[in-house]
Amino acid sequence: MRIQWLLATRYLRGRLRRSVLTTLAISFGVAILFGMNGLIPPMLEAFRHSMYTSAGQVDPTISSVSNGTFNQSVLNEVSSTAGVEQAAGYLAQTITLPTSLGGSSSNALSGVSSVNLTGIDPAAAQSTHAYSMLSGRFLSAEDTEAVVISQALAANLNLSVGDPLTLPATSGTAMLTIVGIMNVTSPTAVNQVLTPLPTAQSVLGAAGQINSIDVLFTASADRASVQAALAQRLGDTYKFGSVETGSEFTTALSLGSAIMWFFGIAALLMAAFIIFNTFRTLVAERQRDLGMLRAIGAKRSTLEGMILMESLLQGILGTAIGLVLGALLTIGMLRLMSSFIQSYLHASVGGPIFSPGTFVASILIGVGFTVASAYFPARSTLNVSPLEAMRPAVGTTENRRMHNRAWIGLGLIVVAGACLFLNNIGVTTLALLAFLVGLILVAPALVRPVAVVFSSLFGFIFPRENALARENISRQPGRAAITASSLMIGLALTIAIVGMVTSTRFGFMGYLDKSLGSDYIFMPTSLVLGNGNLGADPSLEQKVLQIDGVSEVTAVRLAYSQEDGNNLEVLGIDPTTFPTVSGLEFVHGDPQQSYAALAKGRSIIVNGIFSATYNVNTGDRITLKTPNGDQVYTVVAVAMDYLNAKLATGYISQTYLQKDFNVTNDVLILVNQSKNADKSKVLTALQEQAHNYPAFTLLNSAAFKQSQEQIFSMVMIGLYMMTIILTIPGLIAMANTMSINVIERTREIGMLRAGGATRGQIRRMILAESLMLSILGTLLGVAVGLFLSDFIIKAMVVKGFKLSFYFPTSGILIALVVGILVGVLASLAPARKAARTQIVEALRYE
Amino acid sequence: MAIIEVKQLSKTYGQGSAAVTALDGVNLAIEKGQFVTVMGPSGCGKSTLLHLIGGLDRPSAGSVFIEDKDISMLPDDKLTELRRRKMGFVFQFFNLIPVLSAEENAALPLILDGVKPEIAHTRAAEWLARNQMGDRLSHRPDQLSGGQQQRVAIARAMVADPLMLLADEPTGNLDSRASDDIAALLRHAVSDWGRTVLMVTHDPRIAAYADRIVFLKDGRVVDDTLLDGGKAENTRMLKEKVDRL
Repeated sequence: MRIQWLLATRYLRGRLRRSVLTTLAISFGVAILFGMNGLIPPMLEAFRHSMYTSAGQVDPTISSVSNGTFNQSVLNEVSSTAGVEQAAGYLAQTITLPTSLGGSSSNALSGVSSVNLTGIDPAAAQSTHAYSMLSGRFLSAEDTEAVVISQALAANLNLSVGDPLTLPATSGTAMLTIVGIMNVTSPTAVNQVLTPLPTAQSVLGAAGQINSIDVLFTASADRASVQAALAQRLGDTYKFGSVETGSEFTTALSLGSAIMWFFGIAALLMAAFIIFNTFRTLVAERQRDLGMLRAIGAKRSTLEGMILMESLLQGILGTAIGLVLGALLTIGMLRLMSSFIQSYLHASVGGPIFSPGTFVASILIGVGFTVASAYFPARSTLNVSPLEAMRPAVGTTENRRMHNRAWIGLGLIVVAGACLFLNNIGVTTLALLAFLVGLILVAPALVRPVAVVFSSLFGFIFPRENALARENISRQPGRAAITASSLMIGLALTIAIVGMVTSTRFGFMGYLDKSLGSDYIFMPTSLVLGNGNLGADPSLEQKVLQIDGVSEVTAVRLAYSQEDGNNLEVLGIDPTTFPTVSGLEFVHGDPQQSYAALAKGRSIIVNGIFSATYNVNTGDRITLKTPNGDQVYTVVAVAMDYLNAKLATGYISQTYLQKDFNVTNDVLILVNQSKNADKSKVLTALQEQAHNYPAFTLLNSAAFKQSQEQIFSMVMIGLYMMTIILTIPGLIAMANTMSINVIERTREIGMLRAGGATRGQIRRMILAESLMLSILGTLLGVAVGLFLSDFIIKAMVVKGFKLSFYFPTSGILIALVVGILVGVLASLAPARKAARTQIVEALRYE
Repeated sequence: MAIIEVKQLSKTYGQGSAAVTALDGVNLAIEKGQFVTVMGPSGCGKSTLLHLIGGLDRPSAGSVFIEDKDISMLPDDKLTELRRRKMGFVFQFFNLIPVLSAEENAALPLILDGVKPEIAHTRAAEWLARNQMGDRLSHRPDQLSGGQQQRVAIARAMVADPLMLLADEPTGNLDSRASDDIAALLRHAVSDWGRTVLMVTHDPRIAAYADRIVFLKDGRVVDDTLLDGGKAENTRMLKEKVDRL
């Protein structure tokens, strides 16, 4: 171990630039893996903060499994259970505070964007919670339109005792009076507003409803028994635990986490190519040293151990640097994203959270990839004969045994291509892997043909250097292919992601046209329908319908449920008006028949992501958890709308939404005006209604569509940046290889200079080589990128999205530009070094 | 007592019509404390003979005995151990590890054998001092001349206290003055340190330092002569033999 350590550390220091480049490649991959996975937990934590929890002296909290409201008569059942000393019912909801009522704008980093309105029974609540008042008084049983607010809310809105607080309500607005300001320490209650239960029920349009019960057991009670008794009495419609909001987002965040892991692994895969290349080269370079060590008595395992030790040291160092870089990356990204999350999701995101699992996984993967990549080069030292010590050092050319492998690779590519037409995701996945492996096997055989073709193209740019450059690249086709493969991965991802976003953009714009294609939209404050959006009682829809010039109106309502333990949103639509004003993009099922079925009974249309994720198909009967017990619905179609395409959603009729979920409030209203209407008058009337209901914003559909297009453009730019970053390992690989090439040919370069080559010609020769390498990588990248692009779209279709493949032209153009840029940049330092070679020293170089 | 003995030793490279016989039934015995040089034209098999005796390669036929033990059939691990403990190698191209200092290079065989670094480095320093390299312990190979590098290589070859030194063209990359120094050092290893030295060279002037010259031609021993004259006389005699053979 000692000798391996000594030699490994010395060799690493002896080839410092190469060691740095290889270490950087590892660091980069680990930084992405570790850093990106530090993003998801704080976002999840932010969502958890939107849950209603109370820091009181309660035993269990009871809420509906569907996380919706239920009749407050359940309180009597709980109170009358033996062992229960006290039970207090609450109705709580996060309400977005519009700017017109003092809420902060979407771009503001501070201020109040939402409040947690909680309706309580003042007497019962004080027996289960300790409320500490800073000024004024607590609520009393006689209060009606009174509130007690947190000190943070009072400070942010500049309010004191006696001031009015106007909140959005389902009836428009509710003006309440502040009677007290309380000291709140729990981070989940920083914007809390307490009000008597009937007031909250009125504001939220939920008469006679509560959504949680805090229970206090008697001192002598056997808690487990009492809880069991309560469970039996209430049935499985209720759970012991807080109301959870935002739980339907966890699927999306899990997907985000998976994407981050994918990017991190992709970056490490590119690093693996670099490491493999580096170690393969250094084993070749050290043949004489290795032979000598064998001659003087080193065991084969000692030599293998030396190479593995070197890789381990690089892996540890690279991973350590990567962890630090990753943490910095996460901190930076969270700072950039905090205002977005605050505005759209009304959650405050804190600092990065790195779980022990993320640390361990990143370290194991970073070090593991490095050592694994060096494994085969290390094994090759077992074949080093002591006779190597006797041989003079000469520049090596590769044994061209690659042709057999190239034929195998070609076979794999052909089979993979044929599999694309089968339209089966499992087969396509295998085909993608086969294609990738095939391309890697074929790549060395492509080096010379690509070099020949492009040297003739480069002939007019590098008239005297291109022949040498072509031969230099061709003498090490394996090394050239591995280098090009590293660049290939980054560019392939670029093309694939651009293709995916382009296809998604066209697909989603299609959903938008269908589902939000009305003339006007009463849009809730948050685009995510459920998130803090209060909605309006049915009177708003009626008022809008009565406006002169309005021809059709339809509204959407919202509840939450569970099906077989899986969370989903349940949207209530009017099966008659919804298809004419709005509509869904149908994947399976007939639209006319489906809407008719909704009107007749407990039928449900599910969206693609719900159908694909939980394997629910047309014809299936599913059981939904509702505040009024389990209800069985029949799936009549699979279809999607724009706003809910990414969340598990089902659509039922408003009749059954009211019957089963007790929901009558509208969260989205779509309006069409008649062809001959006076447009300005209609707009004025609509604006008047919107003014009375600050929980909504009136939007012109065309303007809304444009704003969504802009969001897509921003996302595209963000993804372009991300994928360009992914080409950095490719750049490192190229620089590494060019650096090795120059060092190896020191004597040769000295000879060229001695023979009359100018420094400029040497530089141009290196540049030409680098460009040939990068063009090979780009061509491979385009091939894999197109394949990967098609694969991703197929996978998304399987996930339930109705999308078509769009040829990623812009992605390919970006790849070409980036590929050439990488070729030029990678050559700069090695070309400079080669041009500065001292002739005499170079000729003596061993 | 013959410390090295080869019997009917043969080595063939390649197969069929492309086969090349490098050694053809060579018989040779080397006594303890002898300085033997093997000479011959290019391709005569002299280096091959050295490789087989040193356990660096395996014969096609015949046997190699070191201290009466047949090493031809030893497994690789045993051969490796033999090289580490009983033999010291000196190469034409010095073969020092470029990233290690002179002392570290010289200590390598002991470190490989598991000797504690402090002891290994002390012994390496002693041997380097004996080779007039005591003031260059921390120098790396790129900071030493060719002759100095070869002195370090000889110290490395001696540090494990081997029975024999096997030197393959040890002066092939040196100028004449440095060559003489190295040849004298090898002579010293025999006369004063009691080693057995087997050297391959094409240079009669260097071969003249030896006690005995074995000539090979076409893979066979064609001459085997003891040198008992002075250096100049030996050199002249060897040049004549080389021209004749």
